[in-house]
Amino acid sequence: MRVATKTMYDNVRINLDRVTEEMVRASNVVSSGKRINKLSDDPIGLVNVLHLRSSLKNVEQLEKNIAVGKSWLRAGESALNQIYNILSDTKALCVQMANGSQGASERANAAVQVDGYLRQILALANTQVGSRYIFSGTNTSTAPFELDEGSSPPQVNYNGNSTPFSLNIGEGMNVEVGRNGEEIFGDDNFDWSDPGAGSMNVFKGLLDLKSALQNNDVDGIQEAIGRLDVYIDRINNMISNTGIKETQLDVKWGVIQDLKLNYTERKSELEDADITQAVMDLTSRQTAYKAALASSAKVMQLSLVDYL
Amino acid sequence: MSGIGLLLTTAKDALLAQQLALDVVSHNVANVNTPGYSRQIPQLATRQPAPYAGMMLGRGVNVEEVVRNTDAFIETRLQQRKTDLNSLEEQEVYMSALEAIFNESSERSLSTTLSEFWNAWHDLANNPSGNSERGIIYERGTLLCQAFNSVHADLEQLTSQLNLSIEAAVGDINELSQKIADLNQQILSGRINGNPNDLLDKRNQLITELSQYMDIQHYENEDGSLTVTTGRGYVLVTGANSYQLSYDDGAVRWESSGAANRDITDTIEGGKLGGWLDVRDEVIPGYEADLNELAKAIIWEVNRIHTQGVGTQGFTSIIGSYGVTNAGAALQSSGLDFEDKIIDGSFHIWVYDSNGDVVGSGPLTINIDADVTSLNALVTDINNQAGGNITASVDANGRLQLSAATGYTFAFSEDTSGVLAALGINTFFTGSSPTDGDYAKFIEVNPVVEQNKAYIAAGKIDSSTGEMAEGDNANVLDMINLSCSEISMNHYHYERGTGALPPEPVSTTLDDYLHTLEGSIGIKSQSVTRSREYTEVIVNQLERTRDNISAVSIDEEMANIIKYQHAYAAAAKLISTGDEMFKTLLDIR
Repeated sequence: MRVATKTMYDNVRINLDRVTEEMVRASNVVSSGKRINKLSDDPIGLVNVLHLRSSLKNVEQLEKNIAVGKSWLRAGESALNQIYNILSDTKALCVQMANGSQGASERANAAVQVDGYLRQILALANTQVGSRYIFSGTNTSTAPFELDEGSSPPQVNYNGNSTPFSLNIGEGMNVEVGRNGEEIFGDDNFDWSDPGAGSMNVFKGLLDLKSALQNNDVDGIQEAIGRLDVYIDRINNMISNTGIKETQLDVKWGVIQDLKLNYTERKSELEDADITQAVMDLTSRQTAYKAALASSAKVMQLSLVDYL
Repeated sequence: MSGIGLLLTTAKDALLAQQLALDVVSHNVANVNTPGYSRQIPQLATRQPAPYAGMMLGRGVNVEEVVRNTDAFIETRLQQRKTDLNSLEEQEVYMSALEAIFNESSERSLSTTLSEFWNAWHDLANNPSGNSERGIIYERGTLLCQAFNSVHADLEQLTSQLNLSIEAAVGDINELSQKIADLNQQILSGRINGNPNDLLDKRNQLITELSQYMDIQHYENEDGSLTVTTGRGYVLVTGANSYQLSYDDGAVRWESSGAANRDITDTIEGGKLGGWLDVRDEVIPGYEADLNELAKAIIWEVNRIHTQGVGTQGFTSIIGSYGVTNAGAALQSSGLDFEDKIIDGSFHIWVYDSNGDVVGSGPLTINIDADVTSLNALVTDINNQAGGNITASVDANGRLQLSAATGYTFAFSEDTSGVLAALGINTFFTGSSPTDGDYAKFIEVNPVVEQNKAYIAAGKIDSSTGEMAEGDNANVLDMINLSCSEISMNHYHYERGTGALPPEPVSTTLDDYLHTLEGSIGIKSQSVTRSREYTEVIVNQLERTRDNISAVSIDEEMANIIKYQHAYAAAAKLISTGDEMFKTLLDIR
């Protein structure tokens, strides 16, 4: 068949173009380490990669959320544990003071001790994470409990609200990590001057106990023992409830770690180049390019003109 | 006629013929690299024999004509395929520009900024009273808006670039038509002196150039002139006349001989022009509509949730970001951007005094009957209930305006009607575009939020006490759920000539809608590239076939040189032989 001179040159050009293009693409894969460098490299794979990327971002955010949640729950748990211990100590003191062998002066001393316990519990009830109060409902910037010594008798007011602070730890999963303080310490809507009222309120109980001790009132002290049992029971429930929530967060944390690993692996499978394969591709393209150059150079040298 | 005389004449003719053949060969060699040149062949033929001594005696050689070696079928096929290739090549260029616009590897890409926008809400949920978290939401929101704005601007710029290219191409087409008409004229007058081969080649070359711009048809008339029409038969060149195209406001028009001209934009199919028009009228409008749909959905859905909540302080005054065109008409048909989203329902306005205590026994409850209540009625209702503590009015732009008396503040809750989001009261985003739906161009963070980040509505008002707690994140938790909720949206497709096709409804999360949009750009781009590669192979094959028929082979020409040179030498030898024969005769004494 007749072959025109132009065809020869065109062939060389087209083939070199093609091999160069393939070589550039292969070297792009090697240098970027990515199989998908543009949307069109693998559109279906890319949609999956985009999906995985936003899932990963979401999961990483949830990890942060859980870390915040755990810091709240831990702070809450430790505060509740300490309150539990103080209340147990108070009860022991009560049992001791209810004993008929104790005199008025011992009981007066014990009243000072109870006052100290009250203030410790008050401080623990105002526990903060960062600058936020965890037992204040969502009124997190206001100290929830405040001892009003000016009023007579003294009273402890609740300044928080009834909505516990919650966090998002997954699609549609909100966990209450803060608490409504009234749930722990009892509400403050009763007549503080009536010694019989507000028996469910921890602070009222301690204030009543204190005045019973001051007044050497054995009946009052004995009543306080009963009340303290209720408080201790309640705090105990709160502690185990907090533990359950912590476990819930831990489980979710584990799930998130698995998801993260899984997402990262799948993303890498879709997006990252198999470097060995990519380097081999590049090398074979380079060889092809060299061969094309060599054969083109040889063929283009030949012409009848040289022999005339 | 004497024998020796005949010999000399034959030899002379042979010399001339070989010389002419060599001329043709030299022309071929000289044009080995000329694009579109077709190899020319001297047609050598024996002269008419003459009777001599009772026999028919040959009288030598003659160059009858010089012909071009072409195959019209291959040429036409090649032209058509090149038209397709040019169209695909241009589409490929613009698709890769589109891919770059939606650059997914960049940190500023839409999907990255959207993910980060949601994450910023998570951070606010973790710390609703934090000022820096509020600042970050504003910043991420702004980045998201900027990403939308810049993608939209890039798409518009692409369209205007395409229009410039189309306008320039129309000028080139007119010039080419004119040149072809001129060549027709020259060929008509050149025919008298044999084949005007080079003019034919030149005309072919011009046709090839013209077919790069658009699909054309052409046929040769009996007189050798060429008639050229567009693919759908609008005449561009006939004989020595050419008809011009004109470009006017996005449309390509055909200027007929009559006064009327016709819009032929949608009939142009191949070539660069066809490719550009495909991108301009089908590809870009589809993606732009999808982008606007996404921006619109984000504006509405985020605002809808935002209006349910409250920031860390109440408003002293507020102006809506959307205005009605008719304050007397029912809200559903009042000319608001999102009027169709308003449904029957109600919302609460809580009014607080300077101590932050709720005024009155509870909130004002404003009832909305979407196809009855007008903005004016809404204003009257608020004013009647508020007793002067807050004043509602409609400003000159049809926007709802609320302002509290000195010392008073107000806030909103429990909007079941969507009217607050539609009026742009207590919203996070603004962005309105009633005429062409360019929400992606106008999406912005509400300046109210920009000026005071305390208005970012993280919490909700306690419906029994009217209290707003700084640490409340109930509304943000709803916002977070939005990122994984399925929303009814549409995908849009366009077709040239028809315009917008019926939208394709989908129910998807906002993130996935964006991913699908970006994926569809990749798919389109990939398919254009594949078609281009396939067409390129065909064009190369056809070109090779054409070149094998028509292009010059140096080796062949070299061989021809030797052939004609030897023939020339032989003819010269004939002359010297004739000369010797004469001498021999003359030497006889």
